[in-house]
Amino acid sequence: MARELREVVYVDGVRTAFGKAGPKGLFWRTRADDMAVKVVRELLRRNPEIPPERIGDVVMAATAQVGDQGLTLGRDVGLLAGIPQTVPGFAVDRMCAGALTAVTAGAGEIAMGAADVVVAGGVEHMGHHPMGEDVDFNPRFVAERLVDTSAVTMGATAENLHDRFPQLTKEGADRFAVRSQQKAAAAWKNGVMRDTVVPMSVFTDDGWRVADRDEFLRPDTTMDALATLRTPFRPGGRVTAGNSAGLTDGATACFLAAEETAEELGLEPRMRLVGYAFAGVEPELMGIGPIPATQRLLERHGLTIDDVDLFELNEPFAVQVLTWCDGVGVDPDDERLNPYGGAIAFGHPLAATGVRLMAQLAHGFRDRPGARYGLTALCVGMGMGAAVLWENLRG
Amino acid sequence: MADTRFSLQRVESEAGPLALVTIDNGADHTKPTFFGRAALESAERAIEELESGEWAGMVLTGKPFVFAAGADIGEFPDVTPEAAREGSRAGHELFLRIHRLPFPTLAAINGACLGGGVEIALHCDFRTISSAVRHFACPEVFLGLFPAWGGTQLVPRLVDPDEAVKFVVENPLRQNRMLDARKAHAAGFADALLEPAEFLDDSIAFLLERIRTGARPRIEERPIDAEALAEAIRKARSRVDGQVHGAAPAPYVALDLMAGAATWSLEDGYRAEEDAVAELLPGPQAQASIYAFDLVERRAKRGVGVPDVAPLKVEKVGIVGAGLMASQIAALALRRLEVPIVLRDLQEDVVEHALESIRGELAGEVAKGRYDEGKARFLGSLVAGTTGWDGFDDCDLVLEAVVERMDVKQQVFGELRERARPNAILATNTSSLSVAEMGADVGMHFFNPVAMMPLVELIRHDATDDVALATAWDVTKRLRKTGVVVRDAPGFVVNRVLARMTSALMDALEHGNTVEETDDAILRLGLPMAPSVLLQMVGPRVAYHTLETMHEAYPDRFPLSRTLRNYAEGREEVVSVGDARRSVDEITECVLEAMADEIRHLLDEGVVAEAADVDTCLLLGAGFPFFRGGITKHLDQTGISERVAGRPLAEIGAAAPA
Repeated sequence: MARELREVVYVDGVRTAFGKAGPKGLFWRTRADDMAVKVVRELLRRNPEIPPERIGDVVMAATAQVGDQGLTLGRDVGLLAGIPQTVPGFAVDRMCAGALTAVTAGAGEIAMGAADVVVAGGVEHMGHHPMGEDVDFNPRFVAERLVDTSAVTMGATAENLHDRFPQLTKEGADRFAVRSQQKAAAAWKNGVMRDTVVPMSVFTDDGWRVADRDEFLRPDTTMDALATLRTPFRPGGRVTAGNSAGLTDGATACFLAAEETAEELGLEPRMRLVGYAFAGVEPELMGIGPIPATQRLLERHGLTIDDVDLFELNEPFAVQVLTWCDGVGVDPDDERLNPYGGAIAFGHPLAATGVRLMAQLAHGFRDRPGARYGLTALCVGMGMGAAVLWENLRG
Repeated sequence: MADTRFSLQRVESEAGPLALVTIDNGADHTKPTFFGRAALESAERAIEELESGEWAGMVLTGKPFVFAAGADIGEFPDVTPEAAREGSRAGHELFLRIHRLPFPTLAAINGACLGGGVEIALHCDFRTISSAVRHFACPEVFLGLFPAWGGTQLVPRLVDPDEAVKFVVENPLRQNRMLDARKAHAAGFADALLEPAEFLDDSIAFLLERIRTGARPRIEERPIDAEALAEAIRKARSRVDGQVHGAAPAPYVALDLMAGAATWSLEDGYRAEEDAVAELLPGPQAQASIYAFDLVERRAKRGVGVPDVAPLKVEKVGIVGAGLMASQIAALALRRLEVPIVLRDLQEDVVEHALESIRGELAGEVAKGRYDEGKARFLGSLVAGTTGWDGFDDCDLVLEAVVERMDVKQQVFGELRERARPNAILATNTSSLSVAEMGADVGMHFFNPVAMMPLVELIRHDATDDVALATAWDVTKRLRKTGVVVRDAPGFVVNRVLARMTSALMDALEHGNTVEETDDAILRLGLPMAPSVLLQMVGPRVAYHTLETMHEAYPDRFPLSRTLRNYAEGREEVVSVGDARRSVDEITECVLEAMADEIRHLLDEGVVAEAADVDTCLLLGAGFPFFRGGITKHLDQTGISERVAGRPLAEIGAAAPA
């Protein structure tokens, strides 16, 4: 029996400020699940038209699903946020594409008619959960040479990109990083971030503070300063702390709804989900993942890269974005690309980042009424890429 | 523990910079934040920063789960009148500087808020309280003090007179009752009751809203309904009379200061608090209260004399006997341990009655909403009764609570030894008989009514092994009672001291005094119950039986009172042995001397390690008042110990093994 899928729209999204992972970071003494609770509650507050009992599922991503990110995070966060007990929840993991996958999973539920409204997001407290901690790598990976050993160190995979694509230089990466910082600083200055970042009071060794600004922002970064930085992944390498995203604590969440539910509740959704694609690539070159994901997605919808008016790409490493630019034919200086800066300036709390990209894309759509299509994409550890295509509903 | 700090952070807001001040001692919530000298110095630095900066507002809050737990009573023992006055004055001055800050201020009460914590919050313009807060109180009167950082002056200005009196005086005297957030908000202590999830964020938003509207309430300008306050205080005074009989000055001082608030300026009121604290804090009652508080809250919880071995895991409990004590203990064990309980009595109807009363109690809990029906049904299914020994073979702990006869108890333990598993711990609830002689492993002496009385005397004899004692301690803790380790000696501690007191009172009656006079002699010490009432509650037969046990061991000090025997046999007749009627004061003196003498003997024998243990027992097992410090503090303070024992009781036996 044939049936129709329902259209899925993105209603609204928020994030916490992003903090530096570790004992000196703003969120060191704040629980990851409390950060997720904060963004979910802010989402509920900002969208009073949505009755909490209409939420069909709470989908929360985390890469490390233990400790304060354990206990089936979506359920845990739903209960702690005061969402009715009748609303279920679950947790997902696709490493850096966690929140993005939470969105596509939630969108699937909506399209299938299993839910009308979904909360989707992610959290990563990399201070509490350093990457790879408690992971027991299967020795077969090495014994059978299934992957290169560099595949498990993300910085090493970024160095591999420089090796594979010699035209992508350290200078190019540093230049991209400087621009990212400048664009982010401008976005913070002109209020873009106020639309997507909710301040949160956090307890620290020096009493309570309010986390209301990303800790990685370095608006005054210069090429000269970046040139002096160490290359921690290889002596004589090209990847530095300056041209990559730092280890970050942060949480994000967004509301998705069936288009008909949005109409019924009188919501003003920002964008419509057109489609999405995930792709697998060589794990040691995980940074190329978004290229096939992007190509597959555009192809499926009969579009070319020129049809897309805005790109929100994650920036784990500047060279990773440059790789994607080369691969799909977008100039790194293209105004459509990361107009508000990216993870190099904001930070990249793994499983939380996807919704940050969407929140910024939604803002970009509002700033550019003529824009029709927008893309959010990121690469994923162990060799994957993820991309979601959106259509501007405010155009 | 690190000193308490006031940390100031700047937060940008649409109204301008806010100062976010946190009271924190750097430890987790198990170590509450107190205001000692260092804290006040840190507060002063923060206040200077507040006074000198351009702030739009200030939010004062605490570390997670604790706002502030008040003054550091560790600084109170042996304080001089000058230091007491200075401590009060320093707080007044600092808190008034907070009150006079030229911008709106908010206390965000995020957790436990006691004493000085309440007072600093009252000096802010606004208060928000997290609905998760369960401890909001001024417990000072409980400690023989009063809130001396403005509490007596501000509380009557802020809330309704009845609420004010209840908060400052009556709640502390009712086992230190505290308000939860909802009640504190309803009484008017907080302007807003906020959800815990985003409490501080919401509190900041609350202050910003008040900054926008511009209104700043001034507590000193709030009118007091003098007539209503006077009436509330009059009523409270008569209730306090009924409770402490004038023996404890603190509640009266607090009431006087609150009465003064109706006419005094804030400054005058604060001077009056300073005068009063200079007199009260170094005084014997406050000092004794602080001593008693430390015993009960810290020392007793450490478990002095409890062996450091793993206790047996108790997963089934047998109770021998199904009378009043036995069924009360069974009900408590069921509720707290939630393990199978088997109850035994020789008479089937007694067993049935006990089971019924336990089930009735469970039904009551359901009615009160403490248990859901499923849980009550489950707990009910855990209790079984028998007239034989069915179900005792797999008990981990058996507690005997049959009639106080050595031969009966010996028979019980003889039969139990044959049936219980070899490592089961066999305990007795005897109130005065020898634990060793009856064949029990250890004694666990509960007090009546079991649900109310916090003490369990844990009796060890020479053959008591460490696991048995450690298990008795552990079970006591799980029953949420306080255990005190006592050697196997007639009457242990509480009944021995009370029996000696009773002997002295009987002696007075037999020499021509009236029951009213002997009652008065005890009530004026501040004991909660007249001895004649207590005697009826315990039952004269039980009391006489205890006296016999004591007489057997110490015939000189515990003469067999023929009057008490008459009472035991149901005759009200006092047997006169001579006419030497004494004044009430003299009776009190005699009783105190008798107690001092008995405690001296008890310490010399090593029944407990220190006088502090005796006090813990009397505070928790006989309701002796905090402001006497149990009793030895009072005996030492008044020189009675010196006179009777040649030295303060606190100096005896400190080094002797328990």
